[in-house]
Amino acid sequence: MSRNSLLTRFFLSLSSRLGVVLAGAVVVVSLVAPLVRPYNPSVDVHFAIRLRPPSAAHPFGTDSLGRDVLVRVLYGLRASLSMGVVAVAIGLTLGALLGLSAGFFRAWVETTVGWFSDTLLSFPTILLAIVIVSISGPGLVHAMIAVGIVQIPVYARLGRSTVLSLREREFVQAARSLGARSGRVLFRHILPSSLPPLIVQATLSIGIATLEAAGLGFLGLGAQPPAPELGAMISGAFKEGYALTAPWTMIFPGAFIVVVVLAANLIGDGLRDALDPRSLARH
Amino acid sequence: MRMQRTGWMWLGALCVALAVLGVSGGLPSGSLQAQNARGTLVYGLGGEPKLLDTGDSSDNNASIVQAQIYNSLVGYKPGTLDLVPDLAVSWVPSENYTVWTFQLRRGLRFQDGTPFNADAVKFNVERWWDLQSPYSFANAGRTHVTWRVNMGGFKGQPSSVLKDVVVTGPYTIRFITQSPFPNLPGVLAGDGHFGIASPTAVQADGPKYGSPSALPVGTGPFIAKSWTPGDRIVLVKNPGYWKRGLPKSDGLVIKFISDPAAQLADVQAGTVDFTADLLPEQLKIIQADPQLRPVFAPTTNVGFLNLNPAYAPLSKPEVRRAVATAIDQQGIVDAFFGRQLAVTNGHFTPPVMSWAWSPKVTSYPYDPAKAKQMLAEAGYPNGFDLDLWYMPVPRPYFPTPRQVAEAIGANLSAIGLRVHLKTEDWAAYLADGEKGQFQAALYGTVESLDPGYAYFVRFTPGSTHDLGGWTDPKVLQLLNEAQQTGDRAVLTRDYSQIDEIVFGDAVRIPLVHTKLLAAAHRGLVGWVPSPFGSESFEDISKATP
Amino acid sequence: MTGYLVKRILGVVPVLCGVTLLVFTALHLIPGGPEVVLLGEQGTPEEAQALRARLALDRPLPVQYLAFLGQVARGDLGTSIMSRLPVAAQIAARWPASLELVAAAIALAVGVGVPAGIVAGVRRNSIWDSAAMAGSLLGISIPVFWLGLLLVYLFAVDLRWLPPGDQISTALASTLRPVTGVYLVDAAVRGNWPAAADVAAHLALPAVTLGTIPLAVVARMTRGAMLEALSQDYVQTARAKGLRERTVILRHTLKNALLPVVTVVGLQFGTLLGGAILTETVFSWPGLGLWLYQGILNRDYPVVEGGAVVIALTFVAINLLVDVSYALLDPRIQYG
Repeated sequence: MSRNSLLTRFFLSLSSRLGVVLAGAVVVVSLVAPLVRPYNPSVDVHFAIRLRPPSAAHPFGTDSLGRDVLVRVLYGLRASLSMGVVAVAIGLTLGALLGLSAGFFRAWVETTVGWFSDTLLSFPTILLAIVIVSISGPGLVHAMIAVGIVQIPVYARLGRSTVLSLREREFVQAARSLGARSGRVLFRHILPSSLPPLIVQATLSIGIATLEAAGLGFLGLGAQPPAPELGAMISGAFKEGYALTAPWTMIFPGAFIVVVVLAANLIGDGLRDALDPRSLARH
Repeated sequence: MRMQRTGWMWLGALCVALAVLGVSGGLPSGSLQAQNARGTLVYGLGGEPKLLDTGDSSDNNASIVQAQIYNSLVGYKPGTLDLVPDLAVSWVPSENYTVWTFQLRRGLRFQDGTPFNADAVKFNVERWWDLQSPYSFANAGRTHVTWRVNMGGFKGQPSSVLKDVVVTGPYTIRFITQSPFPNLPGVLAGDGHFGIASPTAVQADGPKYGSPSALPVGTGPFIAKSWTPGDRIVLVKNPGYWKRGLPKSDGLVIKFISDPAAQLADVQAGTVDFTADLLPEQLKIIQADPQLRPVFAPTTNVGFLNLNPAYAPLSKPEVRRAVATAIDQQGIVDAFFGRQLAVTNGHFTPPVMSWAWSPKVTSYPYDPAKAKQMLAEAGYPNGFDLDLWYMPVPRPYFPTPRQVAEAIGANLSAIGLRVHLKTEDWAAYLADGEKGQFQAALYGTVESLDPGYAYFVRFTPGSTHDLGGWTDPKVLQLLNEAQQTGDRAVLTRDYSQIDEIVFGDAVRIPLVHTKLLAAAHRGLVGWVPSPFGSESFEDISKATP
Repeated sequence: MTGYLVKRILGVVPVLCGVTLLVFTALHLIPGGPEVVLLGEQGTPEEAQALRARLALDRPLPVQYLAFLGQVARGDLGTSIMSRLPVAAQIAARWPASLELVAAAIALAVGVGVPAGIVAGVRRNSIWDSAAMAGSLLGISIPVFWLGLLLVYLFAVDLRWLPPGDQISTALASTLRPVTGVYLVDAAVRGNWPAAADVAAHLALPAVTLGTIPLAVVARMTRGAMLEALSQDYVQTARAKGLRERTVILRHTLKNALLPVVTVVGLQFGTLLGGAILTETVFSWPGLGLWLYQGILNRDYPVVEGGAVVIALTFVAINLLVDVSYALLDPRIQYG
């Protein structure tokens, strides 16, 4: 697959185009926001205007400390954008390493990695993430790591099955018969060919990972105040009793989570269609 | 053609389904009306008690339930901290307050028929005091912390105030203490923790006593009939209750509802008659609903900000006082509690104990400019770093700790401190706090029996682990003196002096004393919440709808 | 087939060991223990230490772990430190609530998702297809807790059509005679229609909240599987033979298309049973997820360890069921 045709195929689909536009808009907005409306979470506290409904001065209303919700949401976008990507990157890297090793070296490596993956997969992901964050303490980075760790078995399994199907292919046999060392075969030949399915899975997972990280934020285990993380904003509204009386404090943060995840999913779908020739038949 | 017909069919089915749902929304209230007329109260409890055994838990959820099943030796006048006779009709101290003789009420029985007498009382007291007693169940996880905190320690420990408990007649029991203990009756009133349980039941049930599989048995107005874990406790009127004419209702259902929004929604729907432990934000909803009325339950709590002197910048009292001056305490109260639900006044002891206040103590003025100046004079013109910790769970004194912490953080940032807000889950918070690892932290005392207790549990050497072991010898000396005397004038003088000293020391800056928001249906009469959240519902009745 | 089953069942043991080891280690790595939670704000470090000893928590960790394994082997899941109730009893009490919620969510997912996916696949690139796919894409992009709060706001607060939380109205709860513990079933079985309707009303919002993502996933899966199946040669053959479109679809393609869907549904069921904690939080639904979460917060080790074992077992059992049904549904697959 040449680069050119990959990109062309990517942009062929409507979903890819929409996704890129959406993601681009979000990124631009989150970068521009601090310039247009600076935000100092510690100082911008105004009790007198707390929990005001949307108005001209505050298009998304104010929160329970009198801070502008629009500004907080825009600032929170940055965390939401990075959460899913970082978590998946962690899961992908560690998982692929484990999976590739398992598929390539077989024997006890495969058994151990398999056992480890099966164990992790038998546990509901969110509970596992909660346990991990409980050990490390709450925080944005810890939440991302937790979600990443929880993703490892998925990539381990995928990596392993990909390698298993690849090792019998001719180019691998050829390299080995020429006397190439295992490591060289693994990195020079197998790794590049196993990347596409892993990348596809990764892009599809970014949306899920973002949602899981936001879920941790909702439980209070994500980014800590005064940092405005979208899940944590909804959490505050719920726990402190004004989610239903001042719904703007939870509607807007959530809507923007949807936008971010939607963009990720659109791009993921487009990328899968571009990388997986079979799926072209479906369009 | 075919598609059209099936399409209409589905639409019709959908309409019917919605109609059924809509109608069924109205049905429950109908049945509730019938239940109301039979006189069963339904109370929404914001959580499930862990255990209904006495003397043990610092579990708020348990004390309200226990108050329906048990009586204590000494009771309170409703809504106050004034002592009245309960299971004991009178109590007389010796001259030096080392021997207290209690006369018990005669002719009454526990709910299982066991006669109530001095031996039964002694059985109960020994369970709480003597960890070696077979019925203390200390090895089954009972903490008995309430006893330890109020009575100094357990049998055999030098710190134990109680020396002996002796039965001197079928209805007379004598408490002998190591040192003068004027406050014994107050302790035994025990804010609901020292209810008298049936010895027969405790002996028969063993460590399971007080759990859903071994329901508690006391002398109180309601008998526990069933406890469905995760759901509710059902109680019925005690026909043999020794207070004539009480309880006024035939039965009581205590439903566990973990979420304040759900609690309030249930009261609004009429499926629950009254509930407590709501969030300050919900006051608006209650006031807007003509069916409900808000109830403000007094408490003995205090929410405060710890400033740990073990952290270098905070080792100077001037710096601590600067921090206190930078906090907009009234603003925080107005924003997150409302004046009906909280006061801030600089006193460490709560409003129900205002007799112990010093007139010289008022709130720290909110003056950021002055605070900055005080900081500079103390040697920190450029401020300093501060980790401000807050708890992640609602507490009675801080129903919404995060907001309070963020507000304080903003206030302190404004005077140049670099504040980092931190939290961890409740168990870790308690553990780390005890080790003195926090520089500044939100904390509180859920309840205190009296001013002496309030100061004892926060300012004596055994209780300042979270402040790196800090103590003030003057405070200790005054507390010692106060413990020996029963003379109200002396107590007032001592406590108000402590009030002033503690205010100046500013290691624990009292931020709020809260009232707890509760809600009741308009037709409910007779509910007077106690400051300890342990009032009995025997006087409550519902006006017929 | 039996050989395969035996092998699979034996394979459960190392996984269970792995789960218990993971949970045990992780739990004890979390700072703080149940003793501080029991003592509350008034506790002192000395007291906490003494209580920890009385709770037998100061034994060396490997000793505690082996003791736990021994217990589990004997079928005893331990006793909760907070409530002194047996863990097994607590699981049995919360299980029906979780089952009810998850079953309703999955029923919604399958009941709406499969037909939507079929229609989308059959009428490819039509307006139905685009609508279904756009809807599914949106469905997998919505955070569950936000959706729950939105629905509560709309239907319970604004429109007041449905209740905001819990399983059943307090008034009707006393009219329920428990049979299975699943309230809807219990009410229907006894003909207690007011209670059944009430339970259904309480179940509606949480089920929609929890079921939205599975619904979207199932719809997309079904569509993809349908497209895959429809492009097979035998379908062309059937069409060439002149068979009606409907027969082609129902008889030939559906069964094959549904196989991957069965897997997905099975997996969803497994994860949702213990993982519905966000929905359970928003709706105060007394399920297993919330119970486990509370256990973690309270450091109630027996609860989390026992609960984890049960959930892992359930998950493994469901996986096995799915694989077996695969073999039954698809004659081409054989397990030797």
